[in-house]
Amino acid sequence: MSTGLPVIKYDKIKGVKNTPHEEFYTSGHRTCQGCESAMVMRQFAKASGPRTIATGSTGCMYVANTSYQTTPWIIPWMHTQLGAGGASAVGMAAGLRALMRKGKLPEEKINVINFSGDLGGGDMGLSGVSGALQSDYDLLIIMYDNESAANTDIQATGLTTYGAQTTFTPPGQKHRIMARRWKKNVAGMLAVGHPTCRYVATASATYPALDFLNKVRKALAIGGPTFIHTFDPCPKGWDFHPRYSHELGELGIKSGIFPLFEVIDGKVIYSYDPRKKGRVPVREYLEKQGRFAHLVDEDVDYIQQMVDKMWEEWEVPGVAPFRGNLNSAQK
Amino acid sequence: MIKRVEVNYRGIFQKSLGKYLGSDIVMIASRMGKVAFSNGRYSDSPERNGIPCKYFAFVAEDLSEEELEAECGAKLDIDEADVSVVVDDTMVKGVEPWGWHGVRPINEKVHEKGCLLVITRHQPEDLLKFIAKKPYPYRLATLEGDASLAGMWVFKDDLTRERVLGAIAAVDPGIISIEAVEAYLLDKTKDARRAGAAREAYEATLRRVRLVKPGEGINWSHPVPVLPKWHEFEDTGIAVPAVPRGFKLGPRGQGRNDRFKRGTTKTHRPVIRFDLCIECTLCWLECPDGCFDPTEDGLYDVNYEVCVGCHKCAEVCPEPECIVMVDELRFENDRSPWEHWVRDPQGYIRWAEEKKGKERVHFPVVTGTGREVREGTYVPPKLSGAETPA
Repeated sequence: MSTGLPVIKYDKIKGVKNTPHEEFYTSGHRTCQGCESAMVMRQFAKASGPRTIATGSTGCMYVANTSYQTTPWIIPWMHTQLGAGGASAVGMAAGLRALMRKGKLPEEKINVINFSGDLGGGDMGLSGVSGALQSDYDLLIIMYDNESAANTDIQATGLTTYGAQTTFTPPGQKHRIMARRWKKNVAGMLAVGHPTCRYVATASATYPALDFLNKVRKALAIGGPTFIHTFDPCPKGWDFHPRYSHELGELGIKSGIFPLFEVIDGKVIYSYDPRKKGRVPVREYLEKQGRFAHLVDEDVDYIQQMVDKMWEEWEVPGVAPFRGNLNSAQK
Repeated sequence: MIKRVEVNYRGIFQKSLGKYLGSDIVMIASRMGKVAFSNGRYSDSPERNGIPCKYFAFVAEDLSEEELEAECGAKLDIDEADVSVVVDDTMVKGVEPWGWHGVRPINEKVHEKGCLLVITRHQPEDLLKFIAKKPYPYRLATLEGDASLAGMWVFKDDLTRERVLGAIAAVDPGIISIEAVEAYLLDKTKDARRAGAAREAYEATLRRVRLVKPGEGINWSHPVPVLPKWHEFEDTGIAVPAVPRGFKLGPRGQGRNDRFKRGTTKTHRPVIRFDLCIECTLCWLECPDGCFDPTEDGLYDVNYEVCVGCHKCAEVCPEPECIVMVDELRFENDRSPWEHWVRDPQGYIRWAEEKKGKERVHFPVVTGTGREVREGTYVPPKLSGAETPA
């Protein structure tokens, strides 16, 4: 499934020194100091290049990027409503196709990228994203996941880590843990549920180096609708000094709490397999964030146990939480 | 008559401090039989960390609550302040909270005989090197202390709150009196230490109020932009022109959003020893604000106008002492450090080391849990033959 237009030939970026210099999302936005979601914007624009149109649903990265009649975007960018990420990408791609068919635009491949936050993409706009992944347009949806509704001062979403403090889940005297939901596995859900979608991946903007840039290029080159879920440490909501936003991302991946994988035509590839070098205890990741300051050992053990299960018991570790049947049938 | 207090603070890091100061002023003034009202600046929300923000408190003796609220409800900004409190001294270099606001002087709202109260370890004369001149006299008070930076979910209880209340009582007893501050803190916390901190700050501030003469300060070079009216928008409706595409190697070689640079967000800036650089690209690659400019010699210049001082470059740089974060108040301009380095390598290294000084400020991972000053190590210059004068 694709529009049939010639795809843009992207070379894999090998070595940080070969990263393209030119920026298409530049300085002068109103994000927080040390914002990793701004890294996601900067890098996807860098990777996709000038023939790209972006749509962004309401969220941190929308409001921060249109501060009073100014913009840091060099490529065209359009705002869409909170749950409308998928629909806006489909509409944009359909519009381009129609204009090209009518001869109003020259036939050329123009990348359509939508970015939605974890609330916009993973909770509220999930049906739209799912619909887009069943369409026959070339589009990429990036869900930048800072584990909260960070634009409105940190409310819990379906992707907030268990136990985290948010405006909706303040720890109290009687109930220590108010965020009692386990983080929704959006990339895994979309990969499992959309077998014709050729590319679903998870990524972190800065770790491993170049991983995200190359995933964006892969997603755009493969054709059809594609999806990337990024893991964005948020200094404001997670409460850590902005200096350490790279470190937090790296720890999240090394501890295995956020698995990094690609599903390409149904085949799972681990971009970073934390099992190889031994998973870092999740405590090291949790204790560096103010939002987990109220957790006691018991809570940390619970989170560790859930992460252990994800890597040791799931049929497809980190991707799909099914257990047992396939292996036992083979034996 | 309405007395107006504004608290200039760093978004998120000092949000609780700003909010508590506003509500404390209201509570104390009410106990004194006055009517008071406090709110945050309407347009600061949602707040981003580091961005300059404001909280207001209004106190009146002869108005009803309704009248005061009608006068002081949600506003973009106030026209004048009796006391402008600055809880992080790096904001004296100017504040630009959003696009089309312009970099405005920190004393913009201070009216004649009003007071600018700064929490700082610098001398008033050093601060005046950054503060715009005014046509009328006003007062500048300094209260010794560090910027009390905390996180979203924690309030850093280091007595800054109590000390600022004491200092406000010192510079304008017409807003709150020190006796009322002490009584309020004692009643509320049953902790004599807190009332004592307010009294101690009150007395210290009384000794540190300086009259700023008309014309004292600097010429303000940043223009105040005028936001287009709705009928002046582009033909396309509400479309905002994109940043023009353009990149070339060298300082300022990348096209950037020139209507909102937001360099006033930073409390520290990176100082780079170009001779120690191993060209690993990480500072440039990992900068969320894209403020590094690749140069033809493989180095990375930094554009201080758009740097927001997140410290990330210093953290990911693998070379010790190559990128060090330095107090923003040690710098007079935003010129390209790489151009300085190319012009005069040895002079640049001397300059960089002088700015860095001996102390390195270290922050733990969770904000508000401390601040440590360690001694830095001096790395001798690594200069190639071409850069060393014979």
